[in-house]
Amino acid sequence: MATPDSNSNGNGTGSEPRGGTLHRLYTGTGAFDIVGKRKRWYIALGLLVLVCIASMGFKGFNPSIEFVGGTKISMPAQGAQGQITDEEAKEASRDALGKPASSVQLVGSGGSQTVQISTEKLSPDKLVEVKQALFEDLEPLGADGQPTPNAISDSAVSGTWGGEITKQALIALGVFLVLVTVFLTFYFERWMAVAALVALLHDVGVTAGLYSLIGFEVSPSTVVGLLTILGFSLYDTVVVFDKVKENTQGILGLTRRTYAESANLAVNQSLMRSINTSVIALLPVLGLLFVGAGLLGVGVLRDLALVQGIGMIAGIVSSIYLATPLLVDLKMRDPKYREQAEKVRQRREKKEASGGEAVVSDEEALAKGARSEQALAAAASVPTRTGKGPESRRGGGRPAGKSSGQPTGKKRR
Amino acid sequence: MRSRPVGAAVSVPDFVPDPHEETDAVAPPAGQIRPGRYLAIFALIIVGIYSLVFFTGNQKPTPELGIDLQGGTRVTLTARTPNGQPPSQESLKQARQIIEQRVNGLGVSGSEVTTSGRNLVITVPGKQGEQAKQLGQTAELNFRKVVQAIPAGAASGRGPAGTTPQQAQQPPGDQPSQEEAIAQAKQLRQSTDQKKLVQAVQQLDCSAPDPLRGNADPKKPLVTCNQDGTQKFVLGPVFLPGDKIDDATVKSPTQKAPQWGVNLSFKGEGKKTWADFTSQNVGKQAAFVLDTQVVSAPKVNTPQLNGTAQITGQFNQQSATQLANTLKYGSLPLAFDQSAAETVSPTLGIASMEAALLAGGIGLALVAVYSLFYYRMLGLLTILSLGLSGLVVYGVLVLFGRWIGFTLDLPGMAGFIIAIGITADSFIVFFERLKDEIREGRTFRSAVPRSWARAKRTILSADAVSFLAAAVLYVLAVGQVKGFAFTLGMSTVLDLIVVFLVTHPLVVLASRSKFLSKPSVTGLGAVQRMGDRARAARKRKTDASSTTPKEA
Repeated sequence: MATPDSNSNGNGTGSEPRGGTLHRLYTGTGAFDIVGKRKRWYIALGLLVLVCIASMGFKGFNPSIEFVGGTKISMPAQGAQGQITDEEAKEASRDALGKPASSVQLVGSGGSQTVQISTEKLSPDKLVEVKQALFEDLEPLGADGQPTPNAISDSAVSGTWGGEITKQALIALGVFLVLVTVFLTFYFERWMAVAALVALLHDVGVTAGLYSLIGFEVSPSTVVGLLTILGFSLYDTVVVFDKVKENTQGILGLTRRTYAESANLAVNQSLMRSINTSVIALLPVLGLLFVGAGLLGVGVLRDLALVQGIGMIAGIVSSIYLATPLLVDLKMRDPKYREQAEKVRQRREKKEASGGEAVVSDEEALAKGARSEQALAAAASVPTRTGKGPESRRGGGRPAGKSSGQPTGKKRR
Repeated sequence: MRSRPVGAAVSVPDFVPDPHEETDAVAPPAGQIRPGRYLAIFALIIVGIYSLVFFTGNQKPTPELGIDLQGGTRVTLTARTPNGQPPSQESLKQARQIIEQRVNGLGVSGSEVTTSGRNLVITVPGKQGEQAKQLGQTAELNFRKVVQAIPAGAASGRGPAGTTPQQAQQPPGDQPSQEEAIAQAKQLRQSTDQKKLVQAVQQLDCSAPDPLRGNADPKKPLVTCNQDGTQKFVLGPVFLPGDKIDDATVKSPTQKAPQWGVNLSFKGEGKKTWADFTSQNVGKQAAFVLDTQVVSAPKVNTPQLNGTAQITGQFNQQSATQLANTLKYGSLPLAFDQSAAETVSPTLGIASMEAALLAGGIGLALVAVYSLFYYRMLGLLTILSLGLSGLVVYGVLVLFGRWIGFTLDLPGMAGFIIAIGITADSFIVFFERLKDEIREGRTFRSAVPRSWARAKRTILSADAVSFLAAAVLYVLAVGQVKGFAFTLGMSTVLDLIVVFLVTHPLVVLASRSKFLSKPSVTGLGAVQRMGDRARAARKRKTDASSTTPKEA
């Protein structure tokens, strides 16, 4: 195998340096000790959650109009006499309502800029009057560039509407958690389900906490957006756990690695994937946020994008730094895994003493990793490999996924 | 699929190819797929969807748009029950039908009434929606005998003594106390105890919203105000319920009676009841009570034996017509509160639509650039798959609009945009798995089927979780965000179709092409070099000792 792969000649072959952080990240060689330093992450994330809970408890949220009730009137900031200014809008709304509105502001930018007027809830008749008065004063332009009363939008909500939506959302949250626990328990195993759920609660808590801390407005869209984060947060955790499950198959019979090390390798191997999936998932959300918050300034696009963005970031952090380390700790409560870790340690000491493989290079470790994985897979599914020599082990590698790759749901314990 | 596997033998001399790969011209065994077949199935699906789009229904290839995208009015009415329990499905359905009739009475095409939880949602597209905000009244018309009528001036207004419980907790936003307020008001204002009724008259504030509206007990007396709040009434129990009304017509002003009003005629028993009442109570007042408010309380001058009655009051042509219509279509079996009412101007609708499209475009472009940069050729496949996915989504959207009345609204568009990322994620799970396999020393070509077998599971389980979240939300959530859950869930399912039928077959095809599997094209150079070293290391090991490298 001295001949280098003809495919890679363009990019320079030969001894490749270990590479910087980026290279290690890209190739996923298990160089980041995430599981080993888990105490650090627990403390950091624990502090974050504490701050969030404290903020929710003491500072509370900044509820949108849907929670307190009221009428919101909005219109394009382009009037027949040119740009409508803040002052003009305030004056016009005072005249129309007979008293100052609770808030008048210009939001968004450029052609999408709008005037937003909030008041207490108006009766339908009163609303028609107010809109007419506002139109006569400000003459907002419609889509065709002509002033028209139809350019004025309004929305009136009773104070109970936001509560109603939130109540249903919380019911949905409960149902979802139950279903997902069942799913995870069957698909993975008990401790994985527990770890994934803890990560999930972390994501929801941190997202909600950041909303409270920064004082972003909470609308019903935010509440529902929060729920869909759950799906994404689990998505990420599922991807990592899938790899952990694969790496640790039959680990109890082997002394090459401890559970913690295998899990760490899995995190590393799926690190780039986690980052990639998160970045890709975040990109459209950023587009949404840019348009929703930057151009429009208000509304459902901004609310959904913001909560999704925050939640996705929380989701990736927790799936890497919380879910897997937690899983390792939970697993280590089982004496079988502790015994195995002890065996690994003994074996290494013996090796150390005999001087063999004292220094393990990155490459070696990797080669070993690949090989032991093959061995693991081989151990996991003997039938497909019977009668084949080392040749096929070298080339074919692990048995063709059909038997070993299936989610049998069996716990190998 | 037609390319012979030249690449395998040339590129990796020491690699022992899977025997299957040599024979892929014949029936491919498990682990190998025929990409062409999958792509053909997908093409068939596309053709199927779009022939349905273009040759059935109204044949217009546009999805139904929600009112927040095309402009219009949406009113959400929440059923208000005396005990706070959810209303029965039956009464909700009945209410929906009645409100539908009222909406149709407005004469705006494309109007719609849907139920969602304990809510009714009225949507009226276009500009004539303002009137829809008035449609939610219960319109329960009852006839009660007037026991006492008092001008409201003296004890009304916000006199210091006149603070009633419901006044103390003014609106808005006391949901839990709503039932209490109703119960309290019932106890006081519908008491059979004369003393309490007197007390109720003193306490009643005609300017405050009435918690009893639409919830009064017909069998008991009632203390209430008239519609303009100028008089208070002590009324007897209902002697004639509104469902005995046969027809209601508008009475135009005449010389003799220069007022707008509504003519009523009763049916069956109602005729007799009305005749009996008017004969026995000549010279007394009968109150027409609409939703617990007295509309008019005429004095009975002569017995009305022909079974007709006339309501007059503070009417103009519009309100008289409206009342006549509501009475004709019947009263709602439930009382409703207007939870939310919004009118979106067409201008804002267009602006929102453009904004959402822009956001989608930006999102798509960012994803495209990132995946091209990171995955090169595979990135191209991602973009192609996303494009095809978009094609399917659009077609399905049009069809759903036709079949189940699905309307695409702003949150729905947000759902699609966010789903771009989730769809692309499936590809990445696959590609990263591919990298894992190559890193372990496989060629691109042999890594594809193996990585797919693994990635498939991950994609399926991850999508299952996403779908679960969306489905739960769709079923349980109320309000506009249902559209968000729907599109998110739908995209998840369509993502599976695309990744199974398009992305994977395309990657298989690419892996069989010599040019496309070059590391400079795939962007997999770094992991491939690692794979080489991994193989080299293994080879050294096995050469040194033919003993099994398996440990433990």
